[in-house]
Amino acid sequence: MNILVILRMMPDATGELLLTEDGLGIDREWLDFQLNDFDDHALEDAILLKEASGAKVTVLAIGEGANRVLQMAAARGADEVIALPGEEDELISSRDLAATVVDFARSKSADLVVCGVQSSEDLFGQLAPYVGAMLEWPHVSGTNRIQASGDRLHVTQERGAGVSVTYEVALPAVLGVQTATKAPRYVSGSKLREASKTPIGKGERQASSFALSATIGGLHIPEQNGSALQLGDDAEHVAERIVAILESNGMGRN
Amino acid sequence: MKIYACTEGRSGQVDAVSLEMITAARGLARDGDDVIAFFAGSAAEDAASKVGAADRLVAAIASQADIVVAETYARQLCHVIAVEGDGIVMVPYSANGLDVASSVAARLNWPLVSYVERITHDGGSLSVVAQLYGGKVLADCSVPLPAVLMINPGAFKEAEATPIAADRVTTIDISEHAAASRARPIAIGLPDFSDVDLKAADRIVCVGRGIGDEASIDLARDLAALLGAEIAGSRPVVDNGWLSKLRQVGKSGQKVKPKLYMALGISGAPEHLEGMAQSDVIIAVNTDPKAPIFNVAHYGATCDLFDLMSSLSERLKASGS
Repeated sequence: MNILVILRMMPDATGELLLTEDGLGIDREWLDFQLNDFDDHALEDAILLKEASGAKVTVLAIGEGANRVLQMAAARGADEVIALPGEEDELISSRDLAATVVDFARSKSADLVVCGVQSSEDLFGQLAPYVGAMLEWPHVSGTNRIQASGDRLHVTQERGAGVSVTYEVALPAVLGVQTATKAPRYVSGSKLREASKTPIGKGERQASSFALSATIGGLHIPEQNGSALQLGDDAEHVAERIVAILESNGMGRN
Repeated sequence: MKIYACTEGRSGQVDAVSLEMITAARGLARDGDDVIAFFAGSAAEDAASKVGAADRLVAAIASQADIVVAETYARQLCHVIAVEGDGIVMVPYSANGLDVASSVAARLNWPLVSYVERITHDGGSLSVVAQLYGGKVLADCSVPLPAVLMINPGAFKEAEATPIAADRVTTIDISEHAAASRARPIAIGLPDFSDVDLKAADRIVCVGRGIGDEASIDLARDLAALLGAEIAGSRPVVDNGWLSKLRQVGKSGQKVKPKLYMALGISGAPEHLEGMAQSDVIIAVNTDPKAPIFNVAHYGATCDLFDLMSSLSERLKASGS
C-alpha cells in the first residue's frame, strides 16, 4: 500500500494573535509555527498502518518549519519526505492545496491519502473531502481508528455525543483524521539526529482547481464581551473568591 | 433562488442542528426564493414532522441505511441542485458536514466558506462573518453566488419543529446509490454511560491543554473529588489518552449543562464551547486573558493553574474539617 500524508504548519494560536496593519492577515513575524495537531495524528495512523501491514509512506509538508517536521516524520518511520513551497505571509488554503495533493496522489500511485480532519486556516473548506471529490475516491472525515483489512480499511468516525460509526472503506480512499488509533509516538533525540540525514525532496505546487471562494475584506479580533467577572491573577486571592462564589451558590465542599 | 438547508441525523431521525440550517436559510430568503430542506436517510417521516419552516422537503431515501455516507449524501444533493437550480447550500459544521460541504463545493466548483457565524445579502453576493484560528479571529468575507456555507452550530436558533404538508415533500429512492457506496457503514457504536455520565453531573471540573501532562490531572482529580464533581477533559487531553473518551466535553464528546463548570487550562475553542456554554455557573482559569473561554465564563482568573488548584484544594479541605 502506498500512503500519502499531508502535514500543514500552522501559526501557534494559543497566545495572542495580532493583525497586520492593513487588517487583512495576522502578523506572522513573531509567531511560532507548529504542525497542525490533526495532521500529526494522521501521520501516526499512516505509520501504524505501515507497521501493521506494510506500506510505503510518503509525506508532503507545507509551511514555515516544514523541513523540521519532515525530519520528525522520517524519524517516526516515513519512507520519503517532500517539502512544498508555501506563500509567505498567507494562510494555507486547503481548497487551493487540494490540486497539489491530487497530483502527488497520482504520481506516487497512492492507495490512501491521510491528513488531519481540519486545520486552523481551512476557512475555505477541508482537504480530505476536496481531494476525495477530485479523485472520485471515497472519503471519511473525523476518524479515530483505522485498521487495514485486506484491500479495504475499517475506519471509525466520531459523530459526537459518544456516537461512532465504523465504515468498511474500499481503497483507494482519502481519510481526514481526528484522532490517531494510538496517540502520536515520542521520538527520541538520537532518532531525530539519525533522521536529519534523510534527504528532503522539493515538490512543486499546482494551481488551484477551483474558483475563488471569497474575498476577505478584513479580519478582526472578536471583542471580549465582558461576560466573565475577572477574579484576578493571584492564586490565593482567586481561590478565596472561588470558595465564596461556590458557597453563595450553595455549592461548597461536598 | 434556491436555498438548501442540509439536515442530518441517523436511523431516519433528524438532529436538532438541522432546524438551525432552516433558520439560517429562512433569514436569507427573499420574495420568490425557495427554502428546500434536504434529507438523506432511511425514512422521511421524522424529517417531514419537523421541517415545516422550510418551503419544501426533498428526501433522499435508502430504506436499509441507518447512515447515508457523506459522499453519497453530497452526490445526491448535487443531483437535486442540478434539477432544482443554483443557489445557496447551508451545511452544519459536524462530522458529516465536514465531508459534505467541501465535497459539494468541489463537485460544483462553487465557493465555500466554513465556520460561518453570520450571513447577510450584499447586492449579488453574500457578506459572511466566519471564524479562523479556533475562533480567535473573525474574517469578513464577500462570497459570490452560488455558494456553499458550513455553519457553526448555535450561530442560528432552531426553527420551530412543525410538520410540512405532504404535497411539499419530494421523495427520491437512492437505495441503489447507497448500496454501491465504496464507504459502507458496518457498525454504529453508542456510548455506555454506566461508568460515567457527564450529562447527569451537577458539577464538572474540566481540564484542557494547559494542564500540561498526565500527572497533573491527579491534582484536578483531587480538586474534583473535594467539590463532588466529575473530572472531564477537552479534546487534546482525551486524545493524549489522559482521560477516557466518555469524559470528553465538546463537539465530539458530550454536551453538558451542569450547575458548576470549572474550566482549567481551557482556551475555549468553538468546538469546546459548543459542549458547555449553557452551564449555570462557569469558572474559567487560563493565563491568556484573551482566551475565548472568558466570553462564556461567568467568572475568570488568569493566575497560575497549579497554584490555584493547590490553594483551592487546601481551602476546601479546611472548610470541610
